[in-house]
Amino acid sequence: MKNKGIVIFLIVLAVVIIAVMVGDWYSKRPDRMEANKFEYNIEEFRKVPEELILFKEVKNFRVGFENPAGITSSGDTIYLVGDQKLKAIDIDGQLLLEIDFQDKPTTVEVEGENIYLAFGKSVKVLNRAGEIQDEWNIEGENTYVTAISGKEDFVFVADAGNRKILRYTKNGNLLDSFEGKADADDLHGFIIPSPYFDIDVNEYGDLWAVNPGIHSLEQYTDNGNLREHWQASGAQTENFSGCCNPAHFCFLEDGSFVTSEKGLVRIKIYKSSGEFLGVVAPPTKFDDKIEGQAPDVAVDNKGNIYALDFDRKVLRVFEKN
Amino acid sequence: MNQKTNIESSYKLQANSHKPLVNSNLLSKMNTENWDCKLAVMKYAKFVLFTFAFFLSTFALSAQQQRFPKPEFDSGYTQPSPVTPEPRALALEYFDVLVLLLVLSAATYLALKSRSRQGILWLSIFTLAYFGFYRNGCICSIGSIQNMVLSFFDPGYSVSITTLLFFLLPLLFALFFGRVFCAGACPLGAIQDLVIMKPISLPKWLNKTLGLIPYIYLALAVLFAATGTDFIICRYDPFVGIFRMDAKFHMIVLGVAFLLMGMFVARPYCRFLCPYGVLLSWMSRFSKWHLAITPSKCIQCKLCTTSCPFDAIDFPTNEKEVVKSGLGPKRFVTYALIIPLWVALGVFVGNRSHTFLSKANPTVYLAELMISKPEIKDDLDNIDVQTFRASGESMDELVLEAEAIRDKFYTGSMIAGGFLGLVIGMTLLNTVVFRKRQDYEPHKGNCLSCARCVDYCPVEK
Repeated sequence: MKNKGIVIFLIVLAVVIIAVMVGDWYSKRPDRMEANKFEYNIEEFRKVPEELILFKEVKNFRVGFENPAGITSSGDTIYLVGDQKLKAIDIDGQLLLEIDFQDKPTTVEVEGENIYLAFGKSVKVLNRAGEIQDEWNIEGENTYVTAISGKEDFVFVADAGNRKILRYTKNGNLLDSFEGKADADDLHGFIIPSPYFDIDVNEYGDLWAVNPGIHSLEQYTDNGNLREHWQASGAQTENFSGCCNPAHFCFLEDGSFVTSEKGLVRIKIYKSSGEFLGVVAPPTKFDDKIEGQAPDVAVDNKGNIYALDFDRKVLRVFEKN
Repeated sequence: MNQKTNIESSYKLQANSHKPLVNSNLLSKMNTENWDCKLAVMKYAKFVLFTFAFFLSTFALSAQQQRFPKPEFDSGYTQPSPVTPEPRALALEYFDVLVLLLVLSAATYLALKSRSRQGILWLSIFTLAYFGFYRNGCICSIGSIQNMVLSFFDPGYSVSITTLLFFLLPLLFALFFGRVFCAGACPLGAIQDLVIMKPISLPKWLNKTLGLIPYIYLALAVLFAATGTDFIICRYDPFVGIFRMDAKFHMIVLGVAFLLMGMFVARPYCRFLCPYGVLLSWMSRFSKWHLAITPSKCIQCKLCTTSCPFDAIDFPTNEKEVVKSGLGPKRFVTYALIIPLWVALGVFVGNRSHTFLSKANPTVYLAELMISKPEIKDDLDNIDVQTFRASGESMDELVLEAEAIRDKFYTGSMIAGGFLGLVIGMTLLNTVVFRKRQDYEPHKGNCLSCARCVDYCPVEK
């Protein structure tokens, strides 16, 4: 046949043309619609490669709270707040202390000989025996304290409602406050879309704060000048996703960050420089919910990571592999 | 306490207001008065309870607001307000019509007067750039068929003067000068013309058979437009995605497939799919000043026969052979007589296929789907079903609407089938019609006036 190759080529093209037209015709029907490409689907990001998971869950305790609220550690003692109580337990889960309050505490921090508890618009200062030493009321209609952290001379209080960090003396005198704003373009101020605004002071006395709206961790001087920051936005494992993450964080002894995220719930660790190190607990370790709550995290002196799981109402302990 | 006080005072007020009535007819109205008082108490008690509940709810709302303030993103970023693109300015639309008119005039001049293939080539490159890539393939005369049809069948739809002129001008030019629109004013034709590499001549039977597809496409396009179902000419325009540099993958595949095919089968879309080509072909057959291969007397050199990539040159007829065979008149009569049968067959096929065709209409399909699969109404991912449910329209209304559309399809499909039967009958009849030709001539209906043959003709004026 003359032009045999061309004829075959033309037949193939004719088949392609017919297939495309017929395929398109039949695909645009209400019961044959293509998958919704805009569907909110984070299943892919729930999968974490095994080699990235650096910790394993070794034990967990029922904390006995209907509504757990916060956790911190000091040496071998773990302090937990929830409902209207403060509890202290040792690393084996033995109850050491339990104190009842009129109001519901929102967070707890231990610094030196003092235990600091936030109650929305006030901070109560207790000694290690659980006796109330002082109470600081914080002015402001929208005040909502979500985190406390301290160092030798100062106590820092994170007020999510007013998007600022307050600096107090140990005696409860308010020295100043800052909102993370400056003239420089790289300082947006704290963007706090929801009541998740965590702060912590590391082993070297550096104050770090989460700026959850832009997925960054920012280090400030005591009087509120930005010194450094790092940022990781995205749904991928090495980034922070959603409106306001990380929701909680704390430090390992070497200054590495332990971060906890809500929504796509996961606990991860980053180097002090912000470089992603690995995963403590992947999303599959938590309840499969659209709006999973971020566990509050703490670290003991052996480097074990404690996650207060608000959904399961248990304290989960993760040990390095 | 407040509630009790209010009720007591309201009771007193009500009692006082009835005082004159009590005086005039004390005994007979005693029972009535007591009943009225009870009603009044109940009425005011309701009011007080409502007020109390309202204040409680307000208090709860304010408590919620105080718990945590709404976020204030203060990043310095200003959210742009959504902008609805303005329609093209009317003056620019008229400018498009002017450009079309000028291009058609230029194509006519280049094909008929200056007989310049090169001129037509450059003109089609301009058309490709302007109507194709600059105007993104829209507005286009080919698609305007559907706008015209819909404007006839839908009283709520009207076409602009621009659309009307885009539809009519090429047809008018074809009526007088042949298909000069295809030669230099159609961007779809231009893009195909530029890729012709090694055109092969198709067998006559295949040319005739494939040549029926544009009639089917036209009939379906008119049927779907008339029933408000779809604009299939636009939907399957293979080159618009290339012009807009933005199309779904399968439409790019379609466009590229046509272009690849066009390397060997010249202008496949124009010859074997374009529905507007059908109308142009009809008009062009009556054209008085059509392009001629030779400017003077044909010397029968046959050079032009290989020049036309579209198989649109008719050869001189051998009158002796036709007369000798004696088959011409017999076949003509037979084919002419069976035309009504073809039409009847077309009507029958149209009648039988109207249900199938009507499923192309989204309303009909949705109604059938919701009847056959009632559980689909709970499928939250099905956008069409959920949109229907959100519209507030009842199932009965949907079915009535679908039935009305199907009725239109019933009539339309039979007309379309009858039309296609007539086309097939006439095509067969044309195969036995003897037309006396002594020279090589362009087929007025199929010739695209590209002037390639003119370049090959050695005869000078």
